Amino acid sequence: MTHRKPYEFEGPAPNAAVYWTSLDDFTLQQSADPSARASLAEEFPREALDFSDGVSRRGFMTLMGASVALGTLEGCRRPVDKILPYTRMPEDIAVNVTSYYATIIDRRGESLGLLVESHEGRPTKVEGNPDHGSSRGKTDLLGQATVLDLYDPDRARQPSMHGEDKRYSDFDAALRTVLQSQAANGGSGLRVLAQPSNSPTFVRLRRAVLRRFPHVRFHTWSSASTSNAREGARLAFGQVLLPVIAFERARVILSLDSDFLQTETGAVRNTRGFALGRRPGSEMNRLYVVEPSYSTTGASADHRLRLAAREVELYLQALAGQLVRAHHIDLGEIAGAVRNAQAPQGVPAKWIEAVANDLATHHGGTAIVVGSRQPPPVHALAHAINQALGNAGQTIQYVAPADRDEIDHGTDIGSLAEAMGAGQVQALVILGGNPVYDSPGDLAFGEKLGHVPNSFLLSSHRDETAERATWHIPRAHELEAWGDGQAMDGTIAIQQPLIQPLFQGRSDIEILAMLADEPSVHGHDLVQATHRDAGMPAVVFNRAWRRALNRGVYRDAPSGGTVSSIQGSDVAQRIGQRQAGTPIGQNNLEVNFLVDNKMFDGRHANNAWLQELPDPITKITWDNAAYVSPATAQALAISNGDMLRLSKGARSIEIVAWILPGQADWSIGLTIGWGRSKAGRLGTRKGFDVNPLRTAAALWFTDGVTLTKTAATYALSQTQDHFRMEGRPMAVEATLAEFEETPNFAARRSPTPRTLPLWREVDYSTGYRWGMTIDLATCTGCNTCVVACQSENNIPVVGKEQVARGREMHWLRIDRYFVSPKAHGNDRDPEATNDPMVAYQPLACVHCEEAPCENVCPVNATVHSPEGLNEMAYNRCIGTRYCANNCPYKVRRFNYLNWHNDGVYQPDDADVPETVRMQMNPNVTVRFRGVMEKCTYCVQRIQGRKIEARRSDNGHGRHIRDGELMTACQQACPADAIVFGDFNDPASRISQMRRNDRRYALLGEIGTQPRTLYLAKIRNPNPEMLG
Amino acid sequence: MSFDAPIKAIGEKDLVAPKSTFKSITEAVSRVTENPAPKGWWIAFLTAFSFTGVLLGSIGYLFWRGVGVWGNNSPVGWAWDITNFVWWVGIGHAGTLISAVLFLFRQKWRTSINRFAEAMTIFAVICALIFPGIHVGRVWHAYYMFPIPNQMGAWPNFKSPLLWDVFAVGTYFTVSSLFWFVGLIPDLATLRDRAKNSLRRMVYGFFSLGWRGSNRHWQNYERAYMILAALSTPLVLSVHSVVSFDFATSVEPGWHTTIFPPYFVAGAVFSGFAMVMTLLLVARSVFKLTDLVTITHVELMNKIMLATGSLVGYAYAMEFFVAWYSGNEYERYVFINRATGPYAWAYWIMITCNVISPQLFWSKRLRTNIPLSFVVSIFINIGMWFERFVIIVTSLHRDFIPSSWGYFHPTLVDITTYLGSLGVFFTLFLLFLRWVPMIAIAELKSILPEADPHFGDHHEEAHEGDSHGEPSLATSAEGH
Repeated sequence: MTHRKPYEFEGPAPNAAVYWTSLDDFTLQQSADPSARASLAEEFPREALDFSDGVSRRGFMTLMGASVALGTLEGCRRPVDKILPYTRMPEDIAVNVTSYYATIIDRRGESLGLLVESHEGRPTKVEGNPDHGSSRGKTDLLGQATVLDLYDPDRARQPSMHGEDKRYSDFDAALRTVLQSQAANGGSGLRVLAQPSNSPTFVRLRRAVLRRFPHVRFHTWSSASTSNAREGARLAFGQVLLPVIAFERARVILSLDSDFLQTETGAVRNTRGFALGRRPGSEMNRLYVVEPSYSTTGASADHRLRLAAREVELYLQALAGQLVRAHHIDLGEIAGAVRNAQAPQGVPAKWIEAVANDLATHHGGTAIVVGSRQPPPVHALAHAINQALGNAGQTIQYVAPADRDEIDHGTDIGSLAEAMGAGQVQALVILGGNPVYDSPGDLAFGEKLGHVPNSFLLSSHRDETAERATWHIPRAHELEAWGDGQAMDGTIAIQQPLIQPLFQGRSDIEILAMLADEPSVHGHDLVQATHRDAGMPAVVFNRAWRRALNRGVYRDAPSGGTVSSIQGSDVAQRIGQRQAGTPIGQNNLEVNFLVDNKMFDGRHANNAWLQELPDPITKITWDNAAYVSPATAQALAISNGDMLRLSKGARSIEIVAWILPGQADWSIGLTIGWGRSKAGRLGTRKGFDVNPLRTAAALWFTDGVTLTKTAATYALSQTQDHFRMEGRPMAVEATLAEFEETPNFAARRSPTPRTLPLWREVDYSTGYRWGMTIDLATCTGCNTCVVACQSENNIPVVGKEQVARGREMHWLRIDRYFVSPKAHGNDRDPEATNDPMVAYQPLACVHCEEAPCENVCPVNATVHSPEGLNEMAYNRCIGTRYCANNCPYKVRRFNYLNWHNDGVYQPDDADVPETVRMQMNPNVTVRFRGVMEKCTYCVQRIQGRKIEARRSDNGHGRHIRDGELMTACQQACPADAIVFGDFNDPASRISQMRRNDRRYALLGEIGTQPRTLYLAKIRNPNPEMLG
Repeated sequence: MSFDAPIKAIGEKDLVAPKSTFKSITEAVSRVTENPAPKGWWIAFLTAFSFTGVLLGSIGYLFWRGVGVWGNNSPVGWAWDITNFVWWVGIGHAGTLISAVLFLFRQKWRTSINRFAEAMTIFAVICALIFPGIHVGRVWHAYYMFPIPNQMGAWPNFKSPLLWDVFAVGTYFTVSSLFWFVGLIPDLATLRDRAKNSLRRMVYGFFSLGWRGSNRHWQNYERAYMILAALSTPLVLSVHSVVSFDFATSVEPGWHTTIFPPYFVAGAVFSGFAMVMTLLLVARSVFKLTDLVTITHVELMNKIMLATGSLVGYAYAMEFFVAWYSGNEYERYVFINRATGPYAWAYWIMITCNVISPQLFWSKRLRTNIPLSFVVSIFINIGMWFERFVIIVTSLHRDFIPSSWGYFHPTLVDITTYLGSLGVFFTLFLLFLRWVPMIAIAELKSILPEADPHFGDHHEEAHEGDSHGEPSLATSAEGH
């Protein structure tokens, strides 16, 4: 019997947080009724003999019979593929040498500067461009995933007319004929529908088309439109100016229905700034979020108020009133309109008083951010308050976008649909987008498109719109086409193709050039023509052009931005027009349409990485759901997985329910971009289409929706959210005040006791000693690292059924825990489940120095490197799965089937489609079935940099310098929460991080000595709010 | 071998029916292999053989597609595969225990059941060995487990308990097979000598290694048998201790515990006796061997099951105590979760079958009741399967980090693989019944009065009224 004192975690203090992962878990955990707690056991009351994969008897017998015959005959080695060397070396390609090209992609109005890794002419991996202000070397989730969109095997491969394959020459002739017939009447029967663009070349060519056809009408539509922000600026300033917020300088941030860290324009820039200002200490920023549905931004909030979307405007007015009354800020003519504004029902007074106080005391150091879902007057009022608080020019700059003519998208596409319905449109050219799928349901766009005699669609897939259009031609991916773009801050950069269009696709500007009858319709010439100033000598321009391509920036952002004064009377008038309306409640439900962080507007539906990516909040994969608050669910007797019918007027949708803590009561959150009916083999019929419920007038939220529960249920696949936290020290956190009092609180919560080694410990004090730290204070849970890892390391996708079985392959996962700050000691407080906070913890292999997996592998397939990496020798692995069982972190992933062959592309492709193979990183082994795999700390990058370092300094060789080497997750992380490096170098960043007070070793008590350490999460609540 | 008459004064009973003679024993055992198989045997054999086919089909499908045809997942990397392995190895325990340990302790009653139990051991170990072989992801590289010299200088990891397993189970299988075969030699010679056709004579003649029953043969034989028994005895303890190291040396809560080696050995003996009981009761009635396998045997075996079942129950209780006493919250959670979590049904099946059902044997009336003994033995077989399932799956499904908790659902292939392994076992066993003397003829004779060198001596102080006849050659191997 041992006399050793058992480890004691410093248990939660009497008022400390309670962690839980799902709502069922929480309510049962808190229940005073023992039978309810006991029912936790029945969360999955399924029997052992439970076939969830539905093998039919006949199918099974067939396979078994065949397999007996085949299995005994031939071994199970993979087939041999012969590779051939180049017989003649192509120019500019060095085999096995990675090259990077600078380009940009459009991200909801932001042009994100990228460096794209290319192997033998194939782009394989996307990184941020450190020289471009939008990214500063970082990327976002969709940026990481874009390379798989490029290789989507279901992209359209040639032009078609009414679904029948045609040649480009046929298309050119058809378009020319239509244009000639339109030339006579100045193009009055010709319409062009485009997606919003920030490309100067696009704007130039549009003017050129208008010169040729004076009566042609251009329309702009995006399902994820940011028109409200533009219209709000037009209202406030009389011109379109968009705010660029320097979050790193803002001490107090108030986000009004704005997911600025994930789905809003400029998320990479915002996250980077936000994380810089999030350093625990006296200068740490504070984030207030007011929103209806939990967003990534809400998950990072210090205080979060769940509020129906339509109440947000009233909240801001009340806040403005408080600022005017109590803090005497100068809102000019607007003051009168807001002075006596009442806060919406149910908003606690401190959310007005304390927030106003916090904003007013940090003059010039705050930012009020409004989401693009909110109507223009909210934006306008926020602009006015920001100016009155002295933020303009300090934390906020205003920059005019490239295209200032865009009008409200709902109105715009509404007028087009009306004209189509009235037969006024003889020819319609659609440049990108998928309006039949994503236009508001009340427009019946698809039906009206059928009435247009000649429609020409440029889009990547033969999608829903292609079914209705006369002509379809493949649209080149952004990595295949020339273009240009203006970033939010005004930086102009060239979009440089990485590869010839795989399927001869064309770009928007090339089609516009055909309409404009430009001398050249090649993208390269079109972009050059935009940027070559008149009279500029060719030599000068060519040098500037080459430098722009090389650096990825053509013209830097103008400093200072535009300063404009508020048109107070207009804003005040619009504020006064706001009607109170019927209060929402059980008989008047609100629905919210949210931009999906994975599918965006639906364009990424066929992207396997994104489909399988767990949602940051719900951890649902392969589907979307209708988010319902716990209280609403209780009132309406809804449980998870119920199918709901939501209807407004004649239009209705059916969607599965998901009870989401933190959702505003009586407000239902719906994400757009799902439920595509013709998206390709992966995206078709995944999730539920909510667009039919949208209207052109109310794109983002509407009330008066009827909800009926149907008898059906639907199974969702999640990667997490199985059970509860058990009060274990996983994602350790504290408030700023607690941290300042006890800086090493995290190590005390999760102690690492000293134990005598069982054998002689390895000396790592010479050479490299790799380690990683992950800062939970700045991690926003945005999932960028997860996809970066997947794209770098050839990680397969397994499909919805296999995720349900628990076989997802992500090497890096992000664990999400809900925290109920108020639950302890007050079990019955409904606010505890309704208003939880979120804690994230990214978790990959932590590379234990005393790795439990290594001891148990019978064949030495997982061993330590001299630099302390826990390595996998795939060729040696026989797949006993013993290592995974013995891994306390459960980060090892097993290839239960051959995911590349048996994976999601079946049955159309028995093998990985040719194009998808092109994405694979040649420096990383593609694992066969039966092999264990896990995070390698990107060992291929380590070895690559080591070779480079050894060859440098004229061949004398040197150590890798700090910062030269980044893992894929670290490089992508927009919050810079991940630090990797050699901690034998005391000056390196990793060494500094490992000395941080907040460090702790996850499960350090087991004695694993993990190389990855966590820095505990710090929240910065406002003491006034807590009272 | 000499006859020790039961000391009736202290309640010992005859170990075979009083009327048995050398001739009757030889007849009773040999005729099973000589007469045409009864219809029941054919039905049983064809059923078992078709399940063997199911196993081959399941394994073929498994090899073709991968381990994913089973329900294993992350975090439950091992499920039915290793459960079946440990279950079969455990069943394989009784044979060696009965043969070797009871032999060394001169427990004469073992002679009626040892052959049977040894055969069962070997077939159970064969079934067990299937699973570690097929559960690996890349079965075509499974030989990496063996220390084969190679140009890469890559050796197995001698720190891994899974490797110890390979050696422990391999050694056990080898020694058990040798032990069984050596014990068979005199009986095979008996069959050879009784053979009526030349094929039989040649085959049995080949396997009886020229046995003539000479004094010298008997001396060598008994010495070899003794040495093998001495070698096997530590293996009884080692093999399941090593199997338990697979779990005990890991860091998983629910696995990482020092009680496992004795607990596993007790459980293995428990399950082994249960399986012997199941099979013996069937064979006894089918082949009418009630004279040789008496109610005393059944009772003695039930006593052992009561003892080992209580040991196992003690281990279950001790695990809970240690989980609480250690103060380790992960350990504590695992055990609370076992009894109350999503797998509580499996846990309570285990407790009912393993701990509660053998308690019936405290009653002499119940432990001498043949149908009840059969039912309880089946219960224990089920309970011991669930014990391994509970240890493996419930520990894995919820370990340290709650975000990676999961649940295991078996697939059809999981089930067919398990049923198929039963098919292999019964196929081999039925073949054994038909072709090999299922009761050790020579050894059984040694406990007959005839085996006494003084049998038939006319002394006044004769043994309590036993029949006295002419002295005979106790060591004769020829059929009478």
